[in-house]
Amino acid sequence: MAYFHFIWKSHRSFLLFSMVFVSLFQFLILKIVTTFDYSAVIKFMLQQLPDDVQSMLGEGFLSLLTVNGAAAFGLNHPLVLVILSIGAIMIPSRHIAGEAETGTLELVLSFPVKRTRLLLNLYLSGVVFLFLTIFFAVCASLLSIHIFHQLTTALAVKMALIGCNLWLLTVFIMSLTTLISSFEKEGNRVGIRAAGIMLVFYLLYYLSTLWKALEFTRPFNIFTYYQPEKLMSGQRSFLLNGGVLSVLILLCLFAGMIQFNHRDIPG
Amino acid sequence: MEQQPVISVHHLTKYYGSALGVTDINFTVNRGEIFGFLGPNGAGKTSTIRMLLDLLRPSSGKITLFGCDIYTHSVEIRRRCGYLPGNFSAYGNMTGADFLRFAASMRKADSRLQADLIDRFQVLPDNLAQKVKHLSHGTLQKLGIIQAFFHQPELLILDEPTIGLDPLMQEELYRLLLENQRAGRTIFFSSHNLPEVEKVCQRIAIIRQGALVALETLAGLKKKKLKRLRFTLSHAVPDLEMPEAELVSRESLDYEYVVGGDIQMLLQRLSTLPIEDLTFPEPDLEEVFMAYYRKEA
Repeated sequence: MAYFHFIWKSHRSFLLFSMVFVSLFQFLILKIVTTFDYSAVIKFMLQQLPDDVQSMLGEGFLSLLTVNGAAAFGLNHPLVLVILSIGAIMIPSRHIAGEAETGTLELVLSFPVKRTRLLLNLYLSGVVFLFLTIFFAVCASLLSIHIFHQLTTALAVKMALIGCNLWLLTVFIMSLTTLISSFEKEGNRVGIRAAGIMLVFYLLYYLSTLWKALEFTRPFNIFTYYQPEKLMSGQRSFLLNGGVLSVLILLCLFAGMIQFNHRDIPG
Repeated sequence: MEQQPVISVHHLTKYYGSALGVTDINFTVNRGEIFGFLGPNGAGKTSTIRMLLDLLRPSSGKITLFGCDIYTHSVEIRRRCGYLPGNFSAYGNMTGADFLRFAASMRKADSRLQADLIDRFQVLPDNLAQKVKHLSHGTLQKLGIIQAFFHQPELLILDEPTIGLDPLMQEELYRLLLENQRAGRTIFFSSHNLPEVEKVCQRIAIIRQGALVALETLAGLKKKKLKRLRFTLSHAVPDLEMPEAELVSRESLDYEYVVGGDIQMLLQRLSTLPIEDLTFPEPDLEEVFMAYYRKEA
């Protein structure tokens, strides 16, 4: 509990900001996007555009103009993904590799605490903070739908599944960062590497939606397993997404734990 | 029955990739002893200490603390140890008080002893209210000392503990070490400063370039300790030979010797020379090491 409290105190400004920002973003996007019925106008405009441009805007663009589409889009907005990813990368990179660099990890590991337990405490703290951020965002979406539209049970369940899927994606990002951190002794380098890997995945996924030649990469891309619009429309199974992400999370976490247990401090 | 050593190190070797950290180190530290671990920066002191606490994993060799293997009984052993790392650092965003609370929550700290140590090392309430990143190096070092001692550990491992402390606080630390020794605790004291090690330690190990070059009692070390002798003659003397001394350098009429044996004979010889200027500068640690090498050779 002392460690959980310590992590919260170390990051509370950013965590509070991300919780408020993401929740407010969800609330407002559902209010603004669906307040006016301009779908017919947008559809007409889109049809005038060349095919390539239409495809660049993505399959989910039109669905954005519905309540369901907007709810899904909000949780897939690049800004939301970036903020959540920063939280997921910051905690392990700063407290494993970063502390190895500053020397505080050496002090903490001289206390009577198992390395595995320390790593798990840190990891679970991150998991809880990510869960809370996404939980509040989903609640804000549901609240907005309830106030400005009509909230149905089916929609609430789908939003909960999207929230869980997003949480698993961010936990995977944190697990990957934990794995990288367990090898490194410089927090910044870990942050740059983890963010770089995620950016490459994201761009590759985007390009694979434009070029058929890159379609083969999709099953190997982490963002294939988080498509809220498809979850909302029932085109994709949450179990498949959740299953793949869970396996990857466990693999990264266990590999990170083994490496952290064997590594030299500071390294 | 023979007493079991608190620290026992056998054939300890550590490589960092292909670079050698320490090689084939052997020593034991007995209960109630203040054991000095002396060496210049980069000699392998901190590597050895980190291996004692299972922070670094040895490439080969074995370490037992309190008769238990450090790798298999790591948590249990660390519960009985207090540690002050070299270049001690704490979480910058915590206040001094928060840091001590955090450290106390990780150990079973004695709050009365903690208050006593805060008082002894003159850590002011203002310091405790300040964020660690704003504390001076000396105050931070005092926090490090407090967290190492406040749970009354059976074994204290201190890596350069006087760095950043003013002379008064250094004396306070020496007193604290001797009090802890009288209470039956064992202290592993690492330093690159020979005089401070001489002040408190009973036995001393000297490490150089990753290897243990000497393991002596303080008396033994003093006996072997060499001095430098520098003098200038008013005019040249043919066949200048000095007993128990070895010529290190000579420039015109300026001579420099390393003196290793009976100083009486040397003084007698000096009294016969036309000396203009004479000094016995304190040798630095490196020279003591070099002298060791020469002597061993």
